[in-house]
Amino acid sequence: MVPHLTVADLTPVLPAAVLALTGIVLMLSEAFLEGTQRTYQAMLALGGCVIAMGVAITSASSPDLLPYGLRLQGFAVFDRFSVFITATVAGSSALVVLLSKDYLRKRDAERGEFYALILFAAAGMSLVAVSAELVTLFINIEVLSIATYALTAFLRRGRRASEAGFKYFLLGAFASAMLLYGASLLYGATGSTHLDAIGRNLGQAVKDRPALVYAAFGLLLAGLAFKVSAIPFHMWTPDVYEGAPTPITGLMSAAVKAAAVVAMVRVLIFVGGGLEARIPYVMLSGLALATMVGGNLMALPQRNVKRMLAYSSIAHAGYLLLGVATLFAPRAHMRTGLFGASGAFGSISAESVYRGLLFYLLAYAVTAIGAFGVLGAIERSEDDKQSDAWDLDRLAGLSQRHPVWAAAMALFMLSLGGIPATAGFLGKVLIFGAAINADMVPLAVVGILSSAVAIYYYLKVVVAMYMRPSSLSEGGATEAMFATNTVLGIAALAVVFLGLMPGVVTNWLAQGALLFGG
Amino acid sequence: MNAALDSRLLNLVIALPLLFAGLIALWPKRESGQIRSLTLIGMLASLATTIAAFAKFDLHSRQEFQLEYRTAWLSDFGVSYHVGIDGLSACLVLLTGILGPLVVLSTWTFVKDRVKAFHLAILIQQAAMLGALCSLDTLLFYGFFEATLIPMYFLIGIWGSEERRMAATKFFIYTMAGSVLLLIALLGLYYLSGPPGGRSFDYAAIYNALTTATREIAASGTTDGNQLSTAAFALFRYGPWFFFAFALAFAIKVPMFPLHTWLPDAHVQAPVAGSMLLAGILLKLGTYGFWRFAVPLFPAIARNWQVLLATLAVIGVVYGSLMCLAQRDVKRLIAYSSVSHLGLVMLGIFAFTDEGAAGSAYQMLNHGVSTSALFLLFGFLYERRHARLLSDYGGIAKVMPVFSALFLIVTFSSIAVPGTNGFVGEFLVLMGAFKSNLPIGLPAVAATSVILGAAYMLWMFQKVFFGKLTNQENMQLQDLRPRELVAVAPFIVLIFVMGLWPQPILDVLRPSSERFVARALYGSGGNLDVSKVRIRVLPAPIGATPTSTPAASVVMK
Repeated sequence: MVPHLTVADLTPVLPAAVLALTGIVLMLSEAFLEGTQRTYQAMLALGGCVIAMGVAITSASSPDLLPYGLRLQGFAVFDRFSVFITATVAGSSALVVLLSKDYLRKRDAERGEFYALILFAAAGMSLVAVSAELVTLFINIEVLSIATYALTAFLRRGRRASEAGFKYFLLGAFASAMLLYGASLLYGATGSTHLDAIGRNLGQAVKDRPALVYAAFGLLLAGLAFKVSAIPFHMWTPDVYEGAPTPITGLMSAAVKAAAVVAMVRVLIFVGGGLEARIPYVMLSGLALATMVGGNLMALPQRNVKRMLAYSSIAHAGYLLLGVATLFAPRAHMRTGLFGASGAFGSISAESVYRGLLFYLLAYAVTAIGAFGVLGAIERSEDDKQSDAWDLDRLAGLSQRHPVWAAAMALFMLSLGGIPATAGFLGKVLIFGAAINADMVPLAVVGILSSAVAIYYYLKVVVAMYMRPSSLSEGGATEAMFATNTVLGIAALAVVFLGLMPGVVTNWLAQGALLFGG
Repeated sequence: MNAALDSRLLNLVIALPLLFAGLIALWPKRESGQIRSLTLIGMLASLATTIAAFAKFDLHSRQEFQLEYRTAWLSDFGVSYHVGIDGLSACLVLLTGILGPLVVLSTWTFVKDRVKAFHLAILIQQAAMLGALCSLDTLLFYGFFEATLIPMYFLIGIWGSEERRMAATKFFIYTMAGSVLLLIALLGLYYLSGPPGGRSFDYAAIYNALTTATREIAASGTTDGNQLSTAAFALFRYGPWFFFAFALAFAIKVPMFPLHTWLPDAHVQAPVAGSMLLAGILLKLGTYGFWRFAVPLFPAIARNWQVLLATLAVIGVVYGSLMCLAQRDVKRLIAYSSVSHLGLVMLGIFAFTDEGAAGSAYQMLNHGVSTSALFLLFGFLYERRHARLLSDYGGIAKVMPVFSALFLIVTFSSIAVPGTNGFVGEFLVLMGAFKSNLPIGLPAVAATSVILGAAYMLWMFQKVFFGKLTNQENMQLQDLRPRELVAVAPFIVLIFVMGLWPQPILDVLRPSSERFVARALYGSGGNLDVSKVRIRVLPAPIGATPTSTPAASVVMK
């Protein structure tokens, strides 16, 4: 039977289609373009990302595309969550494309397939955000993962690049296997791979085959925790972040993390919702606790800035997990939450958690891309071979050599540390506020204390840039880095703008239900 | 000026330094002279706005907060831009305004590299401090409170002495560690401030909700909290922790014993301007925080911990004095004298008597004047000699007579000799503490600081200024230049004016201190004079989510 499809059915996948098509065109263009014409490829990739972002934003605001809900026969979902993540992913990819242009040119490695891979990864992430079915979800996670593996090892002459790519690939494949295994067990237990059907059947399945369901839940959680790099599934993160080309590290910490978190929320909302709330709550808050504290503590002694930011991204994944755990917070007291109606699954509090998660993801995305953008900008081509390429000393005296970059980096560090008037601060306010509302005060206190510890290593970067004399006698970047500067400007503006006037974003997030099934 | 303009005056107070900062950011980097002059003009303009705000403050008005302005901002988060001043903040704002130009003058020749960034930092610091003092929204206050850290961090870390990086980081981490817990407590209070949909971070809303809840707990006499309403129950369960978070954040900032260890390092390493701003205003944000937030929001809990906090304050007083006696480094000595003086302020706050409160408020101003003046004067000496140890000096009075005379006046003010400003504040604080319900031993021990203070200050003065001119390098020292005299003169004037005619300022402070005490006693059931307890809630800004909440407009019975 020919399925009945309408235009509205295609809305959720439209941005991904744009991204994928552009990627294909880029691959083909590789056959026709000469070396000096590479700039067109970057422009094409940028155009694809911007159009995809525009499509996503348009679909969010045009009223005839409502109501939100399942599309494509229940395989895709269209809700504010997916739209927001798609727009974030496409926007981040656009920034990363711009960063890559200067970065690759310095290394004579500018190729069409690099941009194409970025776009494929972005298409995968966008599709992860709309997947409402486990097999679709798995395939899309693979699309984004395989593209990222390839990107990680793209500068294959460097020793660390291939090591990082290989490590990422092996551990990623392991995680994917767990995910797939969990999905198949769940299929066995509930008879469906559609998330909403799983949610409906789960109550009965738990009664009939509890072991199967809990095993499936554990496997899914582990697989997803790997993707968001939660401790103890984080081992790949520092090596991969360090070895990957710096703009790709930005992409991984911004967009890949966003996609992974959205997948986690989507799956858990249906799978975890059917279980006894205590179990997902304990597991998630345990993960969150370990990730927040562990990430920050391991970042402390790092002298390698890229690794330090990798651990910092783990810590930020911990804050996001705290938000996810909030969704499952039990009512700690005989009343409905200490501070009013809260803690109840699917109540107003859940909406505020989604809001916090999405805002935090956006805030973190712009900040991380900016931070890695600065690192990429001061990186030199021969750094791939040096072992101490990312030592903190490389940043010493940056405020004298490149005052604007140093100021931008300081801003990003303060935003990562959660200082007021930056996007990072409001993100923390939303996430921790929701956690407190759900009566998770001890966990919130530990989390916020760990973020105070984090200030120390963020400050180390600022200290190096502003308070240490330059140890290098380099003449600074002679070549104009127009694209990079544009990205840094956009990211810095976004950090301040989201920190001072987040109304544009938060008003939209507050307009209605955010998450299908939530 | 009409009322609409009046209500925008505080916006100008906060924004003016920022405007000048923006201007300087665009100014050519090499024109250091122009940058200095421009900053000075900016600070003078800022001073004019603070004077205007102080003059507009009507001390006979029944309104607690005046020149109020509120507009929608971050309404999704329950935050609004809400500023206003009461007597205490009016005085502190004026003090900040006065210090501004003097800070610029103090470092006119001292800072030679990165002049532009230095003056940018000073201006931003000024704006952040003024903002914190004017904020009537708790999250807005938190934002400014944190924002004060960043310029000061750079001031210490870039233009400081040898150990500057360590001191700057220590300063930042210490304060940050306290204030993240404050953030958690504020988020908790947000949920207490009203029913869902009507919550806000507005000071008045939170205060009124908490006072209602505190009274409810006191009236019910509950031990397990079962019959309480939701807000009262949450306060019952988490209140002590919230108070602890507030107290910790502000105690670090004050700094109170035993959390003071960052201060000597920060002061010693900071450049003169940094020390002046730190001692003058920044530390006051800690005591101001106790006065505005920690005590009025949690009156019953504050009373439970009254003796402990007062004891810590007294330990700070004595310990600070004793440490002063052991110092070899003049800046470190002045820093420890700060610990001692601010301990006295805290004792006045936790006496919960009218005299104690007025005295501690007055003492905040005194400390801002005399300690900044000490740092300023010693900064002049340091600029000439680049030495901080007592043993480097001796016999300075012979080569720098004018300087020595001025230094002596400031020393007297710090010792609290009658006729200088220090005397009034110290006297009131001790009187308030003796009249309070605190164990009599506490003020008695604190009173020894009068003697110890005289001992260490005079000992320091003697070591530096009297004796033989042994050190060759000290022979050639030049006395104060006109520019330096101009920078010192306002301090000398303030010392005598505040010492001889304290009444005008005490009149401004009195309504605030009476309200402070009334609130501290009301919450625990001791005071029934409601007129001083209520806070008017400004109507919600247009276009905001409903922030004029039921809880906010319900005034306690």
